[in-house]
Amino acid sequence: MQALSPFKLLSRFGAAFMEVALDVGGMAVLLYKVIRCFFPPKLDGMETWRNLYKVGVKSAPIVVVTALLTGAIMVIQSGALVAQFDAFGLLGWGAGFATLREVGPIMIGLMFSGRVGANNTAELGTMKVTDQIDALRALAIDPITYLLVPRFIAIVLMMFLLTIVGDLTALVGGAYTGQVLLGVSPSLFASSVIEYIKLEDLFNGLFKAFTFGVAIAVVSSHYGMTTSGGAVGVGRSVNNSVVASAVLIFVLDYFITSILH
Amino acid sequence: MIRISEVYKYRGHECVINGVNLVIPQGTQVGLIGPGGAGKSLLMKICAGLVRPDSGSVLIDGTEVVGIGDVEMTSVRSKIGMLFQNYALFDFMTVEENIGFPLRQLGGRTEEEIRDEVNRLLLAVDLPNTQKLFPNELSGGMKKRVTFARAVIANPPILFYDDPTAGLDPVTSGKIFALLEERRERGGTTSIVVSHDILGMRDICDSFVLMDHGRIVFSGTREEIEASTRPFVGQFWRGEADD
Ligand SMILES: Nc1ncnc2c1ncn2[C@@H]1O[C@H](COP(=O)(O)OP(=O)(O)OP(=O)(O)O)[C@@H](O)[C@H]1O
Ligand SMILES: [Mg+2]
Repeated sequence: MQALSPFKLLSRFGAAFMEVALDVGGMAVLLYKVIRCFFPPKLDGMETWRNLYKVGVKSAPIVVVTALLTGAIMVIQSGALVAQFDAFGLLGWGAGFATLREVGPIMIGLMFSGRVGANNTAELGTMKVTDQIDALRALAIDPITYLLVPRFIAIVLMMFLLTIVGDLTALVGGAYTGQVLLGVSPSLFASSVIEYIKLEDLFNGLFKAFTFGVAIAVVSSHYGMTTSGGAVGVGRSVNNSVVASAVLIFVLDYFITSILH
Repeated sequence: MIRISEVYKYRGHECVINGVNLVIPQGTQVGLIGPGGAGKSLLMKICAGLVRPDSGSVLIDGTEVVGIGDVEMTSVRSKIGMLFQNYALFDFMTVEENIGFPLRQLGGRTEEEIRDEVNRLLLAVDLPNTQKLFPNELSGGMKKRVTFARAVIANPPILFYDDPTAGLDPVTSGKIFALLEERRERGGTTSIVVSHDILGMRDICDSFVLMDHGRIVFSGTREEIEASTRPFVGQFWRGEADD
């Protein structure tokens, strides 16, 4: 392979930078347009229901399974230490603290972006390449109000609610594993959770869930709405959307954690 | 009336609409013909305000549509009906919901009235008992007819038909052209019809526009086009191959 000249390298770097800048700018504009639709609220009730139902029902099972296992894994990880220091009364706190503040929202966010975000991009992308978005516009219907706002509401709200469900399920999974593996009774586990975990820990995690929800909604809608190039283009958009959501989730998590600590 | 002046559109460095000027008087039906990739669909989307040209102006009933926002465009769009070349049916809606959608959006009609109108149109396009089907359960030709019904249901004064008979058998295709003709005779509709079926279009358009490589290479009535001595025009009109 021939070595790239410094000029070519620079121009490639510039092009990649431009692409990212365009995407970030596009997402910011999209978020602004969606937020504007809430003042005063303009949305299609039917579409909102349809999306709430779809997103909620589609993701509930996967969230429950992920959360059960996450809770169990947290207990297995802290199990050795707990046994070593004979700190069985802290098991609930150890597993719960990390799950509620960090692992829960991140895991559910990632599952959500893979499940709901990817689906959202694919749906909007297909509508874009088959002219359905243009057909809406031709009928004087604003695609932002009609398509995006209901999806935003569904994704953000369901991400938030399912994180609550996920937190509870993770604790149940943790308690069960604690009993089976370490012989810690569920009541001891529960009392350690209640005693040491502050409401603040829960809210911290839920705030993250909310921001991750917004991130998934913005990213997946942006890539969907800017799709071009047929089925191949839809595939590319879905791919970009999932990668970008995951990166954004970790970046946001880093900032929120360092600010709220 | 639709007035297109000096419209240019580029894709990268390639000029895909190259200085188009066109006036479509009120109440006339214009046939837009030309080889694949000539820019017919794109020109229609520009007219409907769906694609913004890089320069030029498009006036629809006196309103400039180039560069105005989606919100200001709303009143213009309510006058336009559009049949998309690749159907653009909403795939999460049934046939019935798709066709009734423009009426439902306009408001002022009961569900009963909308259903009757949908059923009447479905009969006219020869698709009875398809109300509850979804677009992915239809053949290409069936989708085309559903798209036609959705485009015309609200009786818009301006209609853009992009290839309304593609994928239809000759009999059904004849029926669709007859429906176009019926609309024209009723008067009041300004429309552009894109089609590769020149034989079918000959009798239903007031004039014809021939496009090639993003330019208008000829425009005139059927008689004028038939009298043209330019080889490309004659060949295209009669469907002759280059030798
Ligand atoms: N939004 C757009 N922006 C820029 N270029 C476009 C856009 N849409 C289509 N084009 C380009 O315009 C050219 C003409 O495409 P168009 O679909 O208008 O052809 P057509 O005349 O309708 O062909 P056919 O008869 O096959 O339908 C193509 O090269 C296409 O890539
Ligand atoms: Mg076309």
